[in-house]
Amino acid sequence: MAHKASDTPTLDLVLRRNSVERLKREKSPLGMLDELPALIAAGYEQVAEEDIVRLKWWGLYHDKPKIGTFMLRIKLAGGIVAPAQLRAIGEISNLYGRGEGELTTRQNVQLHYLGLGALPDVFERLRAVSLTSAGACGDTVRNITGCPVAGLAHHELFDPTPVLQEAAEFLYGHPTYSDLPRKHKISITACADSCAAPEINCIGLVGALRDGEEGFGVLVGGGLSSVPRIARELGIWVPKDEAVAVLVAILDEWREDLRYRVSRVKARLKFMVDDIGPEGVREQIEKRLARTFDDFVLPRAAAPGNHLGVHAQRDGRFYVGVPVHLGLISGQQMIELAELAGRVGGDIRLTRQQNLILTNVAERDLDVVSESLAALALPLEAGRLRGDAIACTGEPHCNFSVTETKTRMDALVQLVEDRFGRDADGLRLHLDGCPHACAQHWVGDLGFQGTTVRDAEGKRLQAYDVFVRGSLDRPAAIGRPVFRRVPTDELDAVVVGLVEGWVTARCEEESFRSFCDRSSDDELARLAGREAHERRRLDGAAK
Amino acid sequence: MSGVGSTEPPNSGGAGFAGAGAESVELLDDLEAGELSVEFEGEEPEVVLEWAIERFAPRIALSTAFQTDGAVLLHMIHELDPSLRLFSVDTGRLPAETYDLIERMRERYPELQLDLLSPKAPAVNAMVRRHGPNLFYRSVENRLLCCQVRKVLPLQRYLAGLDAWITGLRRDQWATRSDIRKVEIDHDHGAIVKLNPLAEWTEDEVWEYVREHDVPYNELYDKGYTSIGCAPCTRPTQAGEDLRAGRWWWETNAPKECGIHCAIETGGLEHELRALVGEGDD
Repeated sequence: MAHKASDTPTLDLVLRRNSVERLKREKSPLGMLDELPALIAAGYEQVAEEDIVRLKWWGLYHDKPKIGTFMLRIKLAGGIVAPAQLRAIGEISNLYGRGEGELTTRQNVQLHYLGLGALPDVFERLRAVSLTSAGACGDTVRNITGCPVAGLAHHELFDPTPVLQEAAEFLYGHPTYSDLPRKHKISITACADSCAAPEINCIGLVGALRDGEEGFGVLVGGGLSSVPRIARELGIWVPKDEAVAVLVAILDEWREDLRYRVSRVKARLKFMVDDIGPEGVREQIEKRLARTFDDFVLPRAAAPGNHLGVHAQRDGRFYVGVPVHLGLISGQQMIELAELAGRVGGDIRLTRQQNLILTNVAERDLDVVSESLAALALPLEAGRLRGDAIACTGEPHCNFSVTETKTRMDALVQLVEDRFGRDADGLRLHLDGCPHACAQHWVGDLGFQGTTVRDAEGKRLQAYDVFVRGSLDRPAAIGRPVFRRVPTDELDAVVVGLVEGWVTARCEEESFRSFCDRSSDDELARLAGREAHERRRLDGAAK
Repeated sequence: MSGVGSTEPPNSGGAGFAGAGAESVELLDDLEAGELSVEFEGEEPEVVLEWAIERFAPRIALSTAFQTDGAVLLHMIHELDPSLRLFSVDTGRLPAETYDLIERMRERYPELQLDLLSPKAPAVNAMVRRHGPNLFYRSVENRLLCCQVRKVLPLQRYLAGLDAWITGLRRDQWATRSDIRKVEIDHDHGAIVKLNPLAEWTEDEVWEYVREHDVPYNELYDKGYTSIGCAPCTRPTQAGEDLRAGRWWWETNAPKECGIHCAIETGGLEHELRALVGEGDD
């Protein structure tokens, strides 16, 4: 009855085992927009569960509880959004989404509380400003991320935006590439800092120069969630004009292989890379494209930056990186930001750290921009710690989260700021409410993942596993849960103890990750004031 | 020795268990569970069970509502290690046929170590005094409250004494269950380990196994039921009728994805409960 992963399965087996594969073949999820009027006429209660799943392909997820409203994720390729587009999103938020919104780690905007009946108008408004949510969720190519200041930054190797746009235009909503074995994440960047985190994407095209020629090195098989992987290098040089063809070849290799459709647990591209290695992937795509690629090894990239603050652009104007605390942004803020950007002649970019950037600001407008942002409750002076902190959607919206997320992070940031002032700048706090890792807790300096414990009376308490030694500093690494099941009211002491230890003992500009790398679990445990998990386990086994 | 055991969680008495509130240190972390879940893909359920018993016994138990998936696992476990504990929540409102099945199971598997968990009498009494015995027909909140008092709280108390539990959840039961892993960390229940050995199996495979091994099953399946829960909240479905139609059929503004396959094992019910009626206490 069991099916070994090494055999190539039949389509029949795939359809028997995997209900999502069945559901996609019975009716294309992309067709759901045409069915909206009928669904609305019949009423939310009558919408079949399978159709609720299909609506994901248009970026719609159930809010919590699942009694009638939706989250909508709007894709912004490379995080670039024009003022008119941001205004439209803000207006939708105000009209139908209780005025709320949030920026995501894939440079999307998410709205909540949208009723089924509002959706036709919502999609019409998006279409009117050339925005889409096609493939924002589901087994699709998700938003393609990039450096938010591509084309503007001083030190970037070249502007990869045309490649990113070409890929997005081809892949978003394409029927073939909306029937992938599972979700797929692509990053295309030539940022000198690789700020877009290509290491945790399924495919990362990383800009490079070879004898003056612009092109890409390729990383494959990264991804977080429950089985985290840092991407591995394909080892080839891809000229700019062949980049999209290479992306498509990798996608084809994976999506046509039924081994990755039997089980959704082993469907992501990273498992193909586990199985055949980057060299196997290279061989397959060279065969598929009937050509060979030159060997190429990417130079070691710098630590990823966040583009916060005021920076000169190549053209003499400036971009202004604005910390958006917890990525929360109201409809009104979006509308007024759009207005501000329009006034100074720029656009808006969203970052992986859930912040935003105002571009093309003339030097004479910098003061006005700064004052206007402060008036919008988006002060530039908000500390770097605040700007770097990432928390997932979590409570009250998400059906998976088991703890507070953004609110808990707010308290943590406040705590560290109060205690250490600017001394803790550079520390990256990432907090998730479940193992799906939307806030990338595996690669935060200090990562937190929500869980629960029971107290002596058996009452359920919110708690967090605490991850250290993970980072996107090169070489990127997956963190370890050194402290587990820390009740939420004991978490502050752990964080203060560890940060205190780092601030006190660090050499020069030593990063938190480097400090943790050279400290043993027991040393960290003394700082945190509680036993490390592995030590508890060893002691337990010895008893 | 057959025994339908106490209604108390295992940590409150039985030899071999740590005292109440004692925290186990032998649990897997998410990284380990993730890798194991990938390794166990394509493996037979018995392989997962053998590993789990080796790793977690005696602080491991099978959760069963005496539907066919649970019965299959019960049979497998009986072959592997008859001393392993099973538990089921006796809400007090189960259909007579389910109790008949338990009796037949006891005859068939004489070594069965079954804990039937009861809700706490004062909590049931308080609920019934305030809302009446059939409160669930009056509102979604009432129904969820009843699920909480009679089903979820006894489950939570019992799990607090375990390092791992085994469920019969399968991916083919519902589109939203398609991502179930065979090894998960159960963050709804104190980060203990949750094992879903039948994750890959289909409905047909389950019935095939039941027939092949002559596993006792609930007679209600022969009377048109496709899912079996509490008597007042379950009815048979007609051919062609939506599977959801068999449970809580009177509800109009209920959470989606709860319907027919709303099992306490998913954790989803508890998320809805907390969102709609808050944290439970008894």
